[in-house]
Amino acid sequence: MFTSLKRILKFAWQGFSRNKVLGFEVMFIMAIAVFLITSLFLFQGISNFLIKEVQSKVDVSVYFKENVLEEEILNVERDLYKFSNEIESVKYISREKALQNFIEKHKQEPIYLEALEQIGYNPFLPSLNIKARDPSYYAPISNYLSQDSLQGVIERVSYFQNKKVIDKLSSITANIKTVVISLSLILGLLAVLITFNTIKLTIFTSKEEILTMQLVGASNWFIKGPFVIQGTLYGIASILAVNFLFLITFAFFSPRLEIFFLGFNLLNYFQINFLSLFLIQIAFAGILAIFSTLLALHKYLKV
Amino acid sequence: MIKFKDVSKIYYSSLNSSPITALKNISFSVQPREFVSIVGRSGAGKTTLVKLLIGEEKLTEGEIFFNNKNIAGIKSNELQKIRKRIGVVYQDYRLLFSKTVYENVSYILEVMGFSDEDITRDVPRILEIVGLQERVKNFPQELSGGEQQRLVIARALVHQPEIVIADEPTGNLDPYNTFEVIDLFKRINKSGTTVILATHDKRIIDGLAKRVITLEAGRLIRDEQSGKFIL
Repeated sequence: MFTSLKRILKFAWQGFSRNKVLGFEVMFIMAIAVFLITSLFLFQGISNFLIKEVQSKVDVSVYFKENVLEEEILNVERDLYKFSNEIESVKYISREKALQNFIEKHKQEPIYLEALEQIGYNPFLPSLNIKARDPSYYAPISNYLSQDSLQGVIERVSYFQNKKVIDKLSSITANIKTVVISLSLILGLLAVLITFNTIKLTIFTSKEEILTMQLVGASNWFIKGPFVIQGTLYGIASILAVNFLFLITFAFFSPRLEIFFLGFNLLNYFQINFLSLFLIQIAFAGILAIFSTLLALHKYLKV
Repeated sequence: MIKFKDVSKIYYSSLNSSPITALKNISFSVQPREFVSIVGRSGAGKTTLVKLLIGEEKLTEGEIFFNNKNIAGIKSNELQKIRKRIGVVYQDYRLLFSKTVYENVSYILEVMGFSDEDITRDVPRILEIVGLQERVKNFPQELSGGEQQRLVIARALVHQPEIVIADEPTGNLDPYNTFEVIDLFKRINKSGTTVILATHDKRIIDGLAKRVITLEAGRLIRDEQSGKFIL
C-alpha cells in the first residue's frame, strides 16, 4: 500500500516535471480560471463595501414636537427595539445638541450664525436619527412612526421627504447584488468549462499510454493516481501564481486603487481574507482538477 | 493453460456496411511449457487472436479460457491479474513514451509490486540481455526501430511471466538480432515459460521445428506438432 502510494507520487511528479510545455499550458488555463474566481471574490468585497458606504450616507430623522419631554422621546426609542433586526443604530439628538451641531457645522459661515442670532431662540427640534441595515427597511420603520398614537409627539419623519432617493438607492443596491451573483455564476461556469476541457485534452494526449498501462496489468488506481495528483499540482501551482500576481499588483497600486474605490483598501482586504480566499481557491481548483481528471480518464479506462 | 473454443471476431464499421470477419470458429489449446507459433499472411487474424487473449478486444462468439477462467465474462480486476501473468511483445511496441528505457521496464515490476531492491537488480540485467544497457536514460523516441523492439521484449520478459506472447517480435530486427531474440525465447521456454509466437517469417518457423498453427483469412487451416511454414 505504502509502496504503491510512493510510486504513484513518483509518477505524478515525473509527469508534472517532465511535460513542461503542456504543463505550462494547463497551468496558464487553470490560472485564468483561478483568476476569475479570485476576481469575483474581490469584486464581491468591493461591491459590499461600496453598497455599505452609500447606505451609511442615508438615514431617517424623526423630529419631535417642541414641547415633548425627553422621557417620551426615549420611550419611542425603546419602542424601536422591536426593529432590532432592521435598525443598525438609533441616536437621540436633543434641541441643544442640534443647535451645537449647527453652530459647529457653520462656524466658518457667519451668515448662518447671524440668521440664528436674529431668530433669538433655539429653532431646532429634538430628533431621533435612525440608520437601517438596508434602505428597504426605512419604509416599515417610518410607517410605524406615522401611526396615530404617535402623532401627538412626532412633528415629522424625514423619510417621506427623501422617499424617492431612498427607494432608488434600495433598487440600485438590489440590482448590484443580482449582477454580482449572475456574474459569479456565469464566470464560474466558464472557468469550470475551460479547465475541464484543458485537462481533458492533456489526458487525451496520454490515451495510448493509459491503454498500455492497462494492458500490462496496472490497476485503475495505479493509472488514475498520478494523473489526479498531477492535475492537483497544476491547480496548486496556478493558485500560487495568481495570488503572487494579485499581491504584487495590490502592493504597488493599492493607494491609487483606494482613491478609485472610495477608500476600499484592496491589499488590506486581500490580506485579511486570504485564508478564506485560499480555501475557496483550493476547493475550486482542487475539486475541478480531480473531477475533470477522473471524468476524462473514465473514457480511456474501459479495456 | 489456454483454450480457444469456437472463437469468432467480427468487426462492425459504421462507415462500411459489410462487417469484417477477423477470426471464424477458432478452436485450439495451448499446454503449459509449450512453444506455439501462429503463422499466416498479413490480415490472417494473428494480431486479433493476441488481442482477444489479453482481453484488449471483446470476442463476438465463443469462449477463451486462461487456466480454466473464461476471459470473456471476467471482471476488470480479475483480468488485470491475468494480464500480470502474461508478457506481451506488441507488434506496434506500445511503449510509454513519457518514460525512459529504464522506467518502461521498471514500470512493469512496480505494477507487480516488486520491491525497489528487486527492481534495481532485475531491470539492468534484462536490459543487458537485450543490449540496451547503454540506453537506460534515453526515451523511446530516441531509439531506433530495432532498439524499441528490443525494449518491448525486455519489458515482456522482466517479470518472468508464465506465458510470453510475441506478435511479430522480429519485424524490425536485423538477422543477427533476430537470431538472438528467437534464441532468447527458446531459452525461456526451456526454463518453463509458455511461448506463443505470431509471425510471418518463414526462416524463423522452419528453424524452430515446434508446433505451428496456420491461419488463413481468419480460419485455422492447419495445426501441426512439428510444423513448417506452409501457405
